[in-house]
Amino acid sequence: MMTKITNTPHPMSRRRLLKSGAAAVGGALAAPTLSTRVWAQSPIEIVHWSWLAASDGEVWAKSIDAFNEAHKDKGVQIKMELVPEDQVVTKTLAAAATGRAPDFGWGTAGKGAKLARDGVTVPMDELAVESGLDLSDFEEGPLNAARYPAYDNALYLIPMDLMSLQPEINLQHMAEAGFAPDAAPETGEELIEWGKAMTRMDGDTVTRSGILMTGSGVQPTVTWGIVAAQMGFERASADLKTAAVNPEAGIAAMEWVLALFDEWKVSTRDVTDRYKAFGTGQGSIFWTGPWTLNGYVGQGLDFKTALFPQIGEKRRTYFEEGGLEMYVQQDKGRYKATMDAIKWLSDNSFEWTTVGRGASPRKSILAMPGYDTAGHPWNVRGAFIEGMSFADIYEVPVLDGPEFTIYSGGNILAKTLELVWTGQATPAQAMEQLATAWQKALDKG
Amino acid sequence: MTTSTGTIAGATAGLAEAERERIHWVGYLFIAAFGIPFLIFNVLPVIFGFYVAFTEWSIFGAPEYVGSRNFEEIWSDPWAWQAFTNVLWYALCIVPSVTVLATLFALYVNRGYPASGLARTLFFSPNVVSATVIGLVWVWMLDTQFGLINHYLGFVGIGPIPWLTSIDWSLFGVAIASVWWDLGLAFVLILAALQDIPKDLIEAARVDGAGPFSRLRFIILPQLRPVLSMVVTLQLIATLRIFSQIFVMTGGGPAGSSASPIYYIYTTAITRNLYGYASALAIILFVLILLITVVQRVIFREVTH
Repeated sequence: MMTKITNTPHPMSRRRLLKSGAAAVGGALAAPTLSTRVWAQSPIEIVHWSWLAASDGEVWAKSIDAFNEAHKDKGVQIKMELVPEDQVVTKTLAAAATGRAPDFGWGTAGKGAKLARDGVTVPMDELAVESGLDLSDFEEGPLNAARYPAYDNALYLIPMDLMSLQPEINLQHMAEAGFAPDAAPETGEELIEWGKAMTRMDGDTVTRSGILMTGSGVQPTVTWGIVAAQMGFERASADLKTAAVNPEAGIAAMEWVLALFDEWKVSTRDVTDRYKAFGTGQGSIFWTGPWTLNGYVGQGLDFKTALFPQIGEKRRTYFEEGGLEMYVQQDKGRYKATMDAIKWLSDNSFEWTTVGRGASPRKSILAMPGYDTAGHPWNVRGAFIEGMSFADIYEVPVLDGPEFTIYSGGNILAKTLELVWTGQATPAQAMEQLATAWQKALDKG
Repeated sequence: MTTSTGTIAGATAGLAEAERERIHWVGYLFIAAFGIPFLIFNVLPVIFGFYVAFTEWSIFGAPEYVGSRNFEEIWSDPWAWQAFTNVLWYALCIVPSVTVLATLFALYVNRGYPASGLARTLFFSPNVVSATVIGLVWVWMLDTQFGLINHYLGFVGIGPIPWLTSIDWSLFGVAIASVWWDLGLAFVLILAALQDIPKDLIEAARVDGAGPFSRLRFIILPQLRPVLSMVVTLQLIATLRIFSQIFVMTGGGPAGSSASPIYYIYTTAITRNLYGYASALAIILFVLILLITVVQRVIFREVTH
């Protein structure tokens, strides 16, 4: 008798397992984009990404807490999440691509052209009007800096604070050098004279910088940017068509920065952490922004702030505008609630622009009684308010805008200038490289 | 009969086929714990990275195919060239230093000299600290004006060296910290191999009149070749991927003098958002690591045999 043995198919073969596994993995990967956002249910929780992690971050956290306290019975709360500054754009892009962008976050005016082009950030003119935010209460310059001419000149950021770079000066070093406490260098010549008087040397080596610099990174880059602009150099023409206008001035500014180290010997390249160096008395004059005030005042550093001296033909300094931008949402209904929250934060930004950082872009807040006396003492805070009148070195609002910014330690500008600071290129060669790279960037639009 | 034999043979083949198709669930369970995350977080991103390298992409929106443009731009990018040149210098500094020092330390501990137990702990301890902490500590140690290293060098008349602020020194400053950090693992591997060398082999050499140097040269080092090959390979791969120390200590500067390819890829992707270009750089680094590793393995194999 023959026994027929049949090869019964196994309920789960390797092929089936692999197919099922692949389907499961695919499903798992796709699920987040298909699912709805559970947190989008009522009451509304507005997600805010902030990269403010220094002492100014504490003040901002208080503002968010104040909003939540004021709205605890109104069904709206802000959930703030800290994201590292150097990763925030990447994370925002990734979140937007998966439909999970935060509702709003911190941005810098002029640096968000790519986000505006790709539709990651949302135009805010109409939303502001709907929410009742009075745009005419904003200073005109800061409001224009938050617009992108290439994208319908729309407003992509609500300005929250205006910042400039001004010199902070160690009062003890001033006293040692015989300067009166209320004096300050007004011109380039006076600045160098002050720097020399406060510099400490060991033989031919600078051991305490009269003018605090680093050998590379942000500090020499931004110094060059300010001095070059004062001397008449422009990174881009007004119509954003031509790069490196008046290159001779840019070259002269590079030579001025080099002279700080090599000719006048008021700076050393050996400082690695500029903030720490000024805080520990390794430098006497340090141009920086208002974000440092909380830290230095908190640690009891004896210093004052002065207006940036006029080194070139015109007194100018770096301008930075922090603000809040909104990101694209699948549920468009969230825009109104987000804009309402931004309006509240803007209307209630008195503490942010007195204790937090920078000057207020709002005329009504600047005119408030006590604005000048609130927050830190005027001798450390005042220059950051008064100095806004000549802070006009804006960002270049093009797609590759970050490559033009003078406040950077890693963009094309900083890296090209480092070749000059380290003697690997002459100022003329560096200017030629910059002009070529920037022209290419401008041509992209 | 023939039919019956054929049927049995067919049935046996069917059983064998069934056995082949049968699932050994436990095996899959064991490999799934590693395999699935590896597939999702390693294999798929690598495949996607190859694709992105031929596109211009800013995460939001679809990648735009640009052919080999990213690779062509790398050839004319001096910063990329510098980063790749730097990493070869890092390898030349770090790999031999770690290998030689780890061997010397392991020989010291293996001989059982006084305090060798303490030395064993000391030699390995830097390796348990994170690279970030190592970097932060060494920033202070190597500070030009206030660093301990320059302070002690001053006693022997060596002037302050700008370890992290000069284009001539920054790479060596980072390399010193890396050697100190990497030494521990190599030391442990070599020590384990030393302890595996049969004692009678060394004793026989001693009886035959071999001195300490001869024993090291003709007995110990040949016995260590396999582990030295592994140490060099691991160290080489680790050095070609060097990032954390640079990120913390120098930020790649000054003027890119201490930047590595991984650091350059990081800034290109995360800071400048040029993901296609960064992927192309990553592929070139991948090929470089592959080539160097293969060549190094071939050389060691030939020497060993």
